[in-house]
Amino acid sequence: MPIIEVRGVSKTYENPVTGRKTRTLDNVSLKAKENDFLILLGPSGCGKSTLLNIIAGLVPHDADGGEVHVEGKRVTGPNPKLMAYMFQDPVLYPWRTVLRNVEFGLEAQGLDKAVRRERAFKYLRMVGLEEFADYYPRQLSGGMAQRVAICRSLALETDIILMDEPFGALDEQSRIILGDELVEIWRKVRRTVVFVTHSLTEAVYLGERIAVFSARPGRIKVEVENHLERPRRLGEPEISRMVDTLWGHLKGESLIAIKRAPAEEERLELPQE
Amino acid sequence: MIETFKTRPALLRWTLLLATLVVWEAITRFASFNPIIVAPPSAVFQQAFLIALGDSTIPQFYANSAITIGEVVASYLITVVLGILIGLAFASSKLVCDAFEPLLLVLYAIPKIILYPLLILTLGIGVLPNIAFGVLLGVFVVIFNTSAGLRQIEPNYVRLAHSLGYGRRAIFFKVVIPAAAPTIVAGLRLGFGYTVIGVITAELLVVSVGLGSLIDYATVNYQTAQLYALVLITLAIGVAGNSLFSALERRWVK
Repeated sequence: MPIIEVRGVSKTYENPVTGRKTRTLDNVSLKAKENDFLILLGPSGCGKSTLLNIIAGLVPHDADGGEVHVEGKRVTGPNPKLMAYMFQDPVLYPWRTVLRNVEFGLEAQGLDKAVRRERAFKYLRMVGLEEFADYYPRQLSGGMAQRVAICRSLALETDIILMDEPFGALDEQSRIILGDELVEIWRKVRRTVVFVTHSLTEAVYLGERIAVFSARPGRIKVEVENHLERPRRLGEPEISRMVDTLWGHLKGESLIAIKRAPAEEERLELPQE
Repeated sequence: MIETFKTRPALLRWTLLLATLVVWEAITRFASFNPIIVAPPSAVFQQAFLIALGDSTIPQFYANSAITIGEVVASYLITVVLGILIGLAFASSKLVCDAFEPLLLVLYAIPKIILYPLLILTLGIGVLPNIAFGVLLGVFVVIFNTSAGLRQIEPNYVRLAHSLGYGRRAIFFKVVIPAAAPTIVAGLRLGFGYTVIGVITAELLVVSVGLGSLIDYATVNYQTAQLYALVLITLAIGVAGNSLFSALERRWVK
């Protein structure tokens, strides 16, 4: 049984001022099995991030637009016991130390202080940041901050980790290094990862399976299996070949997307305050 | 010489202050200035000392200082409570904000001093109009900073907490408040300065009680050195209040 199952999901945004409606996702179906490393790849504005948010339960899909099941249960809202969610930015709270940022998710689950501390340190050690536990976020580099964010997600010890372009704001070298670390952790702890990116190379370098999106309204154009041996090396001919194949699927869609105004509807709805 | 100052801005500051005092003293001593117009610094410091000992021509210095400090404390407490409550109302309801923000902006823009006669008429002469005028000057910056601080929170801060399963109440106390704290505290700090200005100004406008009334007393009796000394003391009280804030800010705001 798939651990994540998306069945015919659609999403339409309505601009609250103009009332103009935009369909970002159109009847998308997708499955992820346990321990999968699934990449959602597509041109900008294709709705791949929206789909990730819908899976996470952060954004509702259209009322008549399909359903999402995770571990057999229908998703109706965020479920931090089942899924950890990572943003493109680290989103660390500047008034909390590294350690207390990592603990933030565990606090919500009412875990004991000692348990929280132990769990946080376990993952800080895993990414080599234990000496920085008492630092404040402003004292960290971009790569370190994103590592802390990874820790915060891992510490929830959920079966599923959803990542929305988590390395998109980093420089290329940090991207590669963090990608390697992520794969290393994924192989060690065996979780299911769903990873959104618009980078072809990143998709091939990291993913086990790549779902390629069409331009808006997003549909899944093709799903590509990628079982190249790990550790993978950038510049290997197999990697280049696969990038080329993906580009074959994606080029037409990117040409459509690039001529369009950015979708303001992509701005995500906030929970009601 | 310049090389020494380059790395030590504090030294430059104190040197300049000291030099000003020396020149000021020299001018008043040797250029035969009328001491009623400009008092020499030595006389000012001597008077400040005498006033502090309660041994000067200024009557009831401590009683009046206590009144002023009491007025400032009362005025500031009202400013904080009122400012934060109204700021919260503005931040939590778009309707309240859209309906009343223009009114508030008009009130903020007018010179508050023209409202002072109204305060005297309604509250009489005494400490009440002084307290009210302090509130009038201090409350706006507290309102604006509180509401802006709460509204301008990084949306991802809230989304993250939401994704981790926090409810609305918990998000407000664990995320919104600490995220807005630096802006709110900045408003409270500015508000304190304005409240002090308001209280002392009010005391000077319609002379009744407080440090303002003593300053006025020294002025009309041509006791210039005492006047300068009182201004210095008032300044010191303001600076002390401000340093209290800096200390609190360092502790609370990271």
